[in-house]
Amino acid sequence: MIDTARPTSTPPTTGPFRGTAAPAEPLEVAAVRRRRAGRRRAATVDLLGILAWASAAMAVTLWLVTPGSHSVSGVGGWLTDAGIVAGLIGTDLVLVMLVLAARVPLIDRVFGQDNAIAVHRSLGKPVLYLLLAHGLLLTLGYSASSGSGPIAETIALFSTPDMPLAYLSLGLFVAVVVTSLVAVRRRLPYEAWHVIHLLSYAAVLVALPHMLSVGSVLAHGTWQRVYWIALYVLALGLIALYRIVLPIVVTLRHRIRVVAVEPIAPGVVSIHLAGRDLDALGARGGQYGVWRFWTAKTWWHAHPVSFSAVPGRDRARITVRDLGAGSARLGRITPGTTVSLEGPYGLFTSQARTAPFLALVASGIGITPVRALLEDTDLRPGEATVLLRGSDTSQQYLWQETAALAESTGSRLYAMVGNRARSGESWMTEDDLRRGVTLRSVFPRLLESDLYVCGPRAWSDLVVREARLAGVPEHQIHQERFES
Amino acid sequence: MSVTTFETMGTVVSVRGAATATVSAVRAVFAGYDRRYSLYDPASVLSRIAAGSLRLADSPDEVRAVYALALEWRDRTGGAFTPHRPDGVIDLSGVVKALAIRAAGAALDAAVAPGDSGDASWMLNAGGDVLVRGRHGADPWSVGIVDPDQRDVVVGVVQLDDRRAVATSGTAERGEHVWRRSAPTFRQATVIADDIVTADVLATAVVAGDEDDLRRITGDGTVDVLAFGVDGRVWATPGATGLVRAGSPSPAA
Amino acid sequence: MRARVIAGGVVTSAAVLVIGWQLGGQPAVTAQSGAATGSTSGSSSSSGTGSSSSGTGSSSSDSGSSSSDSGSSSSAGSGTSSSVSGTFAGAATQTQFGPVQVQIVVADGKITDVTALQLTDRDGRSEQISQQAAPILRQEALQAQSAKIQAVSGATYTSEGYTTSLQSAIDKAGL
Repeated sequence: MIDTARPTSTPPTTGPFRGTAAPAEPLEVAAVRRRRAGRRRAATVDLLGILAWASAAMAVTLWLVTPGSHSVSGVGGWLTDAGIVAGLIGTDLVLVMLVLAARVPLIDRVFGQDNAIAVHRSLGKPVLYLLLAHGLLLTLGYSASSGSGPIAETIALFSTPDMPLAYLSLGLFVAVVVTSLVAVRRRLPYEAWHVIHLLSYAAVLVALPHMLSVGSVLAHGTWQRVYWIALYVLALGLIALYRIVLPIVVTLRHRIRVVAVEPIAPGVVSIHLAGRDLDALGARGGQYGVWRFWTAKTWWHAHPVSFSAVPGRDRARITVRDLGAGSARLGRITPGTTVSLEGPYGLFTSQARTAPFLALVASGIGITPVRALLEDTDLRPGEATVLLRGSDTSQQYLWQETAALAESTGSRLYAMVGNRARSGESWMTEDDLRRGVTLRSVFPRLLESDLYVCGPRAWSDLVVREARLAGVPEHQIHQERFES
Repeated sequence: MSVTTFETMGTVVSVRGAATATVSAVRAVFAGYDRRYSLYDPASVLSRIAAGSLRLADSPDEVRAVYALALEWRDRTGGAFTPHRPDGVIDLSGVVKALAIRAAGAALDAAVAPGDSGDASWMLNAGGDVLVRGRHGADPWSVGIVDPDQRDVVVGVVQLDDRRAVATSGTAERGEHVWRRSAPTFRQATVIADDIVTADVLATAVVAGDEDDLRRITGDGTVDVLAFGVDGRVWATPGATGLVRAGSPSPAA
Repeated sequence: MRARVIAGGVVTSAAVLVIGWQLGGQPAVTAQSGAATGSTSGSSSSSGTGSSSSGTGSSSSDSGSSSSDSGSSSSAGSGTSSSVSGTFAGAATQTQFGPVQVQIVVADGKITDVTALQLTDRDGRSEQISQQAAPILRQEALQAQSAKIQAVSGATYTSEGYTTSLQSAIDKAGL
């Protein structure tokens, strides 16, 4: 049993890790360098965000420069123009959503894949509303202008070339967004949701013909048309490149296959992988990849799993907890199985540091990226402090390795074992809560540290909340959220 | 080509391409309609309905069917064509003449001897509403559109190659007899359509209506229209524009 | 950081929109406009007509046209007093198929040509607009080539009227 009060000292294990030597650069200099890098990253993120805003404004501008758009005629005209603008902004944001989901390395490097997906999700409903408004306002506007009713107008629109496809596109979007609502998504098996979500590509493509043939904003021979098509090419091109082509190249180049599947705790397996030039993957400690194991039963599941050690030249290791139908089968993968990889992704690395010190907090399966991160960071003695949390002995896999790493780098390691405190919401055990343990007591230099937290969602949220309350700046808090 | 003419319904009907016996049948068709629907003959069913001595509900089925048809056209033209006079009297003359022409056309078609059916060609002109079948020899039947200002001048020629019916409504011959619902916009309208009832009703609707009515009527491309506005403008669908623009055959020497 | 993005985004977007507004605002067409004196306004005027490239008449379906150019149209035969010459573009009207506008050429108070300055795409949709009837240029009347027509269609003639009509002439000639 490890006590929270005393640092551990256990013999190093034979795990795939490198010993790290203390770097020559003084702490303060390193900190300044990192802060500068962090500011550069932040500036890039801001730039990308402003670019996204500007693209939406540009979409409206396409309409503003269309000849005749400034003279609005009657109620019908107002409705029609509002519908046109709604469609332009909505589609532009759809393309932004595609770019966010494209796993562009630049975006991952400066913003993080998980943040990008969070923004992608938040755009879903507003975009759908804009597209629905587009259809509704245009139908009402046309029918007001031509004196026919909305139903007659819809029928007339249906007989316009390319319009049935536009209605189909709208229907597909509705399906995609509705199935992505949290309430609905929870009830769907992941693969079913994913397949429906792929329909969004169809929706985007099928909507294009009517944009280019109906209406006058994107008329033939205008620069607006060229710009719009260029946007489409860009968004879809990024998707094709980074979600399809690059993973294929990576998989073929590195020839990753399963060497061994090692159960290391009840319900937890480490999968040892072999391949070529795996150190050229560019995987930093703390990153994850999206893995696909090519057996008959598992090929259609793609698993986001963190590297639990920094890849060597021809060896890599991931550790995964059996969760649900998909990952349960992972334990039964046989050696020799081919593996394909999308990634590595993630900003949960020492690249994201901006502060002098390092505080790592991990619980349960959250140990995987933390252990890898620890391995991948050049640390000076006393620079890093690690806190490992587990509810019982079965939750202590990889702890020995982490302890060995901590010792070899002169970092402090604490362990907290026990069930969660029942009194009040806390991430700590009952005992430690009563003893008055806080984050600041575990990490004395917390405010000058980058705090990396990984573990079950609810638990890690509590840790982060305490950190925020303690005054840790937002850019120093790094949370790796494992999707359930 | 033999041409037969006879008077009926207050106008003159010209028939081409029919044998004498067939012409009698055609005559009988028109006479029947005239008897039932003329408002100038007090004994006609419609006159009796207008006078109040016969209720519409008690009138023959056919009359009520024609009335229903007229109402249907009223809806389709948005009220521009209507069988109701401002004084409330039901006036079905707008649709009756066309129905008579249609029925006469059916009689002409039926009169073709078996074996000749592929070659039937005839033309029926009732007071300016024309229905044809087949061709005039090697050429299509040709109908001239009369200038509303000069009744002996033709402003365009319609070749009935594809469509079969031409009907013109206007105020030039009989004065203001068209019941309008707005200030007069058009003084003459010629409609070229696939059937005579459509052509006739829509021609009346255009003259009774305004520019929006005309646009709506011609919106779906199933008819061609040449309309003369009271302000002197001439309106035409693309198919009809060709009639006026195309060089006419040069005047015969 | 979020606040910076929002602020920067708003400023950039506003700039883009303002530039767009400045660049836009053109009427649907670039037509040379001659000096117009009161009475001769484009025959397109408030009815917002235009014609497709084949030179046939077409009109917009937008009855609520904003074109303020609603002067009475000059008609070729109505003999307006002005002796205006020039080329005039009527106001553009927005239709569901795009802006529609007509340009007329006037010589000595008479319209001598009507052309379309219309920007919709070529394909099925512009067919719909152009199927509608629109004002066309009134031509000189054509003399009937009696050898070529078998019937005339005009306002219905009465029995009396028939006797002096073209139709009776054609019927008598047995054409």
